[in-house]
Amino acid sequence: MRILYYIKVWWLMNIKYILPTLWHNWTLAVFLVGKIIRFVFFGGFIFFLLKGTNTLAGYNLTQALFFYLTFFLIDTTSQFLFREVYRFRPYIISGSFDLILLKPMSPLFRVLMGGADVIDLITIPPLIYLVFHYGSQLSPSTLTIAFYILLVLNGLLLAAAFHITVLAMGIITLEIDHTVMIYRDLESLARFPIDIYRQPLRGILTYFIPIGMMITVPAKALMGLVSPSGVLLSFLIGVVAIFLSLRFWNFALTKYTSASS
Amino acid sequence: MKKYLSIFNISLSQEFAYKMNFVMWRVRNVLHVVIAYYLWTTVFADPGRTVFGYDQAKILTYVFGTIIIRAVIFSARSVDVPQEISEGSLTNYLVRPMGYFKYWFTRDASSKFLNFAFSIAEFGILAAIFRPPLFFQTNILYLLAFLASIIIANYLIFVIRFIVTSVTFWIPELAWGGQFLFMVIVTEFLSGSIFPLDIFPATWQTIFYYTPFPYLIFFPLQVYLGKIPFPQVLSGIAISVVWSFALSIILRSLWNKGLKSYEAIGR
Repeated sequence: MRILYYIKVWWLMNIKYILPTLWHNWTLAVFLVGKIIRFVFFGGFIFFLLKGTNTLAGYNLTQALFFYLTFFLIDTTSQFLFREVYRFRPYIISGSFDLILLKPMSPLFRVLMGGADVIDLITIPPLIYLVFHYGSQLSPSTLTIAFYILLVLNGLLLAAAFHITVLAMGIITLEIDHTVMIYRDLESLARFPIDIYRQPLRGILTYFIPIGMMITVPAKALMGLVSPSGVLLSFLIGVVAIFLSLRFWNFALTKYTSASS
Repeated sequence: MKKYLSIFNISLSQEFAYKMNFVMWRVRNVLHVVIAYYLWTTVFADPGRTVFGYDQAKILTYVFGTIIIRAVIFSARSVDVPQEISEGSLTNYLVRPMGYFKYWFTRDASSKFLNFAFSIAEFGILAAIFRPPLFFQTNILYLLAFLASIIIANYLIFVIRFIVTSVTFWIPELAWGGQFLFMVIVTEFLSGSIFPLDIFPATWQTIFYYTPFPYLIFFPLQVYLGKIPFPQVLSGIAISVVWSFALSIILRSLWNKGLKSYEAIGR
C-alpha cells in the first residue's frame, strides 16, 4: 500500500513539471536538440576512432558502441528520475526545506524524485531501441540478457546512491551544483570501458567510486564477460552503496540548520 | 583605461570570493583531461603507432594543450549576461558611464587570467604524475602564429557568446538554453576541445571548417603542433580574422535591435 501511495505522489509531483515543459516549445526543442547533438557527436567520435584503430582496450566497434549506449541509457534514465537533485540548493539556502520536512512523506523521496525531466523521458525509448539493436549483434544468451537487465537496474540503484550522497553533501556544505557536475564527470569516465584506465584508478572506479559496476559491468555481462560471482558482487556493492548513502543522508539531516527560514 | 583596470581587479577579487566554486570548476577541467589522457594512451599503447596523423607525443600534447587553451578561451564571466537580460538587470549597466562590451571583455579577461594561472599549475602537476612524451614547437614562426591564433580565438569566442546571448532579447526563456546548445554543446565539440577534429572523415572536416568553431581550439593546436604547412597557417589566420569582422557586424546589428525590443521585464 505504501508503494502505491508513493507512486501516486510521484505522479502528482511530476505532472507539474512535465506539462509546463511540454508547453515551452523553445526550451523543449533546444534542450532536446542539444542532447541529441551531444549523443551523435560522442557516438560519431567512438565510431570513427574505432574505424581508425579497429580496437579499444581489446573491444571491437560494436562492443565499444554498446558500452557507450549503456552509459547513455543509465545516465539518461537517472537524469529523468533524479533531476530534482539539481534544484535542491535553493531549498537549503532559503530554509524552505523546512516545508518539505513537514509533509507526510519521505523528504528524501521529495528532493530526489520530485521533478522528473521530460526531455530525458523522450530520449529513453530510442535509446532502448539502440541498446536492443547493438546488443543483439553481440549474440547474447538468455542468461546474459537477464544479467544485463538486472545489472542495469543495479546501476540505477548505484546512481540513486550517488545522488543521495550529493544531496547529503548539499545539506552539509550548501554546495550542490558543482558536486553533482563532478559526479557527472566521474560518471563520464565510464563512457568508455573502464579497462582503458590503469591501476589504481581502475580499482577505484570499480570498488570505491563504483562507476565501473554501474555502467561497464552490465555491458560486459551481456557480452558474457562477467561470471555469476561478479554479478553477485555487483549487487552486493549496490546494496552497500545505497545503505551507506541513506546513513549519510540521515546524518546530514542532523546538520540541517534551517538557516534563512 | 583606469576604470577598466579597476573592473579587472574587482572581478578578480570576486572570483576569489567563491573559492569552492572555482576549485570545483578546475577539478572538472582536470577530470576531462584525465579521461582524454587515458583514452589516448590506450589507443597509443604501442608508442611507435601513428593514428589520424598523430604520434603518441603529438596527441598527448594536444590533450595536455587543451588544459591551458580551454582555460584561456572558454573561461568567461559573460556567461551571466543572458540571465541579466531575461531578469531585466541589464538596465543597471546601460545607465553606467562605460562600454557594456568593454566591461564584459574586461571581466572575461580577469577570469581568463586566473584560470590560465591555475591551468599552468595543473599542467605541471599532471605532467609530473603521468610523465607524457610531449612535443615542443621550436619554430619561432609557428609559435608566433600560434600566439596570434589564440588572441583571435579569444575575440571570436567573445563575439560568438554575445551573438548567442542576443537571442535572450526575443526569447527570454532561452537564457540558459541558448548557452547550453551553442556554447556547451556545439562550441565544445566543433572547437575540437573534446577530441581532435581530424579523426572525422574529410567531408565532415570540410563542413566544420565552414564554421568559425575550429578556429577556437583545434586550429591553434594544429598550428602549435606544426601539422599545417605555413602558407595554410596564414590563410587560416586570415579566415579567422574575417570571421571576427563578419560576426562583429552581425553582433552589432543584433544587439542594437535587441536593445530596441528590450523591455526590462522583471524590473
